[in-house]
Amino acid sequence: MRKSMKLLALSMLALVLVLSGCNFSDSSNGNSDSKDGSKDEKKTLKLSLENDIPDLNQVKTTDGISFGILNNIMEGLYRLDENHEAVPAMAESVEISEDKLTYTFKLREGVKWSNGDPVTAADFRYSWLRAIHPDTAGSYAFIIADYVKGAAEFVEGVATDSEVGIVAEDDTTLVVTLNEPTPYFLGLTAFVTYFPLNEKFVTEAGDDFALTTENILFNGPFTMTEYDQAAGVKLVKNDKYWDKENVGIDEVSLKVIKENSTALNLYEAGDLDRVYLSSSDIQSYQDDKEFGTESKFNSWFVQFNLTKAPFDNVNIRKAFQLGYDPEILTAQILNNGSTPASGVVASGMAGVDGKLFRELNPDLVTPNVEKAKEYLAAGLKEIGGTLPAIEILTADDTIAKDTATFLQSEFKKNLGVDVNISTKPYSGRLQAMRDDAYQMGINKWGADYNDASTYMDLWVGTPASPLRGHYSSTVYNDLVAKSKSETDEVKRMDYLLEAEKALVVDDAVIAPLYDEGKAFLQNAEVTNFTIHPYGAPLELKYIKKK
Amino acid sequence: MKKFLAVRIVNILVTLFVIATVTFFLMKLLPGSPFDEEKLAGLSDEDRMEFYARYGLDQPVAVQYAKYMGNLVKGDLGISYYYKGQQVESLISSRIGPSALLGAQAALLGVSIGLILGMIAAFRHNTMWDFFTMFIAVIGVAIPNFVFAALLQYYVGLKWGILPVAFWESYDSSILPTIALSMMVIALIARFMRNEMLEVLQQDYILTAKSKGLSQMNVIIRHTLRNSMIPIITILGPITVSLLTGSLVIENIFGVPGIGSLFVDSIKVNDYTTIMGLTLFYSAFYILTILVVDLLYGIVDPRIRLTGSKG
Repeated sequence: MRKSMKLLALSMLALVLVLSGCNFSDSSNGNSDSKDGSKDEKKTLKLSLENDIPDLNQVKTTDGISFGILNNIMEGLYRLDENHEAVPAMAESVEISEDKLTYTFKLREGVKWSNGDPVTAADFRYSWLRAIHPDTAGSYAFIIADYVKGAAEFVEGVATDSEVGIVAEDDTTLVVTLNEPTPYFLGLTAFVTYFPLNEKFVTEAGDDFALTTENILFNGPFTMTEYDQAAGVKLVKNDKYWDKENVGIDEVSLKVIKENSTALNLYEAGDLDRVYLSSSDIQSYQDDKEFGTESKFNSWFVQFNLTKAPFDNVNIRKAFQLGYDPEILTAQILNNGSTPASGVVASGMAGVDGKLFRELNPDLVTPNVEKAKEYLAAGLKEIGGTLPAIEILTADDTIAKDTATFLQSEFKKNLGVDVNISTKPYSGRLQAMRDDAYQMGINKWGADYNDASTYMDLWVGTPASPLRGHYSSTVYNDLVAKSKSETDEVKRMDYLLEAEKALVVDDAVIAPLYDEGKAFLQNAEVTNFTIHPYGAPLELKYIKKK
Repeated sequence: MKKFLAVRIVNILVTLFVIATVTFFLMKLLPGSPFDEEKLAGLSDEDRMEFYARYGLDQPVAVQYAKYMGNLVKGDLGISYYYKGQQVESLISSRIGPSALLGAQAALLGVSIGLILGMIAAFRHNTMWDFFTMFIAVIGVAIPNFVFAALLQYYVGLKWGILPVAFWESYDSSILPTIALSMMVIALIARFMRNEMLEVLQQDYILTAKSKGLSQMNVIIRHTLRNSMIPIITILGPITVSLLTGSLVIENIFGVPGIGSLFVDSIKVNDYTTIMGLTLFYSAFYILTILVVDLLYGIVDPRIRLTGSKG
């Protein structure tokens, strides 16, 4: 007996000893401040990430968390400012040709990579080509290939790299030729896929590129000193950054905390400077002075399938579109900082002449139960009296399910129609919609850039894909096509405004739900915290801390 | 013994092959792909297929299977689709450390406390001691460990500030999750130990030992404990495996960068290579633990030594 117990205990002890050499991400060197006592105290910021960091390879990555980190350790020709407007960054200035197709970027003097190499126009050309080349590209290749001349042909292999409209004339001059006038192009150059890469460094790193801190070069406001996909990152102010005087924070830790309640406990304990609240916590904090909300250009809507009964009838679609009030949903059920939508384009999105798109196209859909009933009666007459069984398709996360349940009860109450809910996992929901196996489905679209065309492009087609309800309208297609070639900003916006009206009001292809929002608590000492509603969300450059 | 081992190892390989095959085909039934389908939805069907083709995902499942198994035989688990560019081996090895540390500590803590409680309950049968330890055991089984975890985090971490609320920064970070994980083990082992010892104490040989004039301590250590260990060892295998391979909930609550959540996440995002790698890793680990448990039986109980038998 003694022997076996000892054996067991010893083997377990051995295991523990072996394992205790395991990787604690020790970043407890926060007290290094005290060493340089004469200097000002280091300004540190402690943040959390709600999930792992999948991939810091900028040309391949696709998720918001990776985008957020890359946006702070790297920089494109332009960067979004505190008001989400593109301002010159690696580029000092740009000249745009008369036809708005040629952009000549002049790079800033003396911009450097973290290893001391200069950032050159060739670095941009190399990176952009890499982002669209079939061997190296990811699913965001479109964000370059859709705009730059010859890029789509290069992707398909029918054009060489010299035929792509990206030319490095000298070290500081980059000339980019576009297919169509694209007024939001400068904003695009602030996006992660448009960041530069140092060819020599990437080649040397080979397969290990972007897997460890040593295998990434930085040119942004911060450098990364620690990187563990499952634990998080530590960023330190980059002293080779051209605008380092305006970077207010010396050190930022971003740690993966997946559990909402844990993040809240950490915030209460002073271990985090900012935390997102779940809907159940909002009530107890919403009068707090540390409470705030932010919104994203992430629109949720109901997609009708125009080839499936009863939604092949426009009056039935209109009845369902008007038969509920999104405001009840956002205020009473979601209660998470989301705002009710009246169209499909996110309400904060830019329009023209300093006006928001939604200000120019207000109240497309106003909930009205009486009208909804009239449409339903008219529709029923047209389809011969009775509705078939109706199912609403939704993903299985809490918010989507709550939304579906809300719609179900509103349709029952307001229209007297029974709707069943079909719940599928995230990718299952998407697959079913693509396979045309749905009547109406809850869908969303997150904007990649600040222009309504990110939404309007989705429903173009003869017909559009099953995921977009097989929508097929020459009026709509024409409007979107005209907006592409129009050089006059006001006229271009008019086409897009009309397109949204055709899609939402005339044809009722979708029914608006809400713009996604988030509620948070933030340390009162921290100011200028910027979360961009589109593209790469996290912006640490402008933050100040007392 | 050698023959026994050889047969078992062949068995293990066949089992792993079956597991790999079944998992592969089941996994391919999952809807979706490892990519950002919302973005790919903008592409035409041909363009999308072309995109899949770059990863060999356009081929028939049987071909993909043959390729995967070919690489597997060479010891190559492939590259993760989600954690792009990462070898699945390195993904697993970088995540297993924290989980295994917590698991080993929880097993050690849970088994030792459980054994002690069980013994106390058995020797002080039907006294307050017995009722008290069994009360703890019932609570340990009845209350899920994430409730313990949340309570520990709130009081010990936040209110009293004794230990870190969460994060994985120093050895201190591992204490609360270890305690939370060990509750279940304590409860299980204590109950098993109590029942088993009560039974052993009724046996004739204990009476013999006592009548030989052996001291109480001697009886316990030489005759009772050893014979009570067999069922404990049986449940020790599965307990150890489930502890060492990580707990999704506990890891999430304490922000531990462990392997527990990797498995669930990889299924959610259709990360095929990671799903396969982890399934095989878990299976191999589990099967090997069973083998070790079988060998341990022999040490504890000479009646089930494996020499000559087929096991």
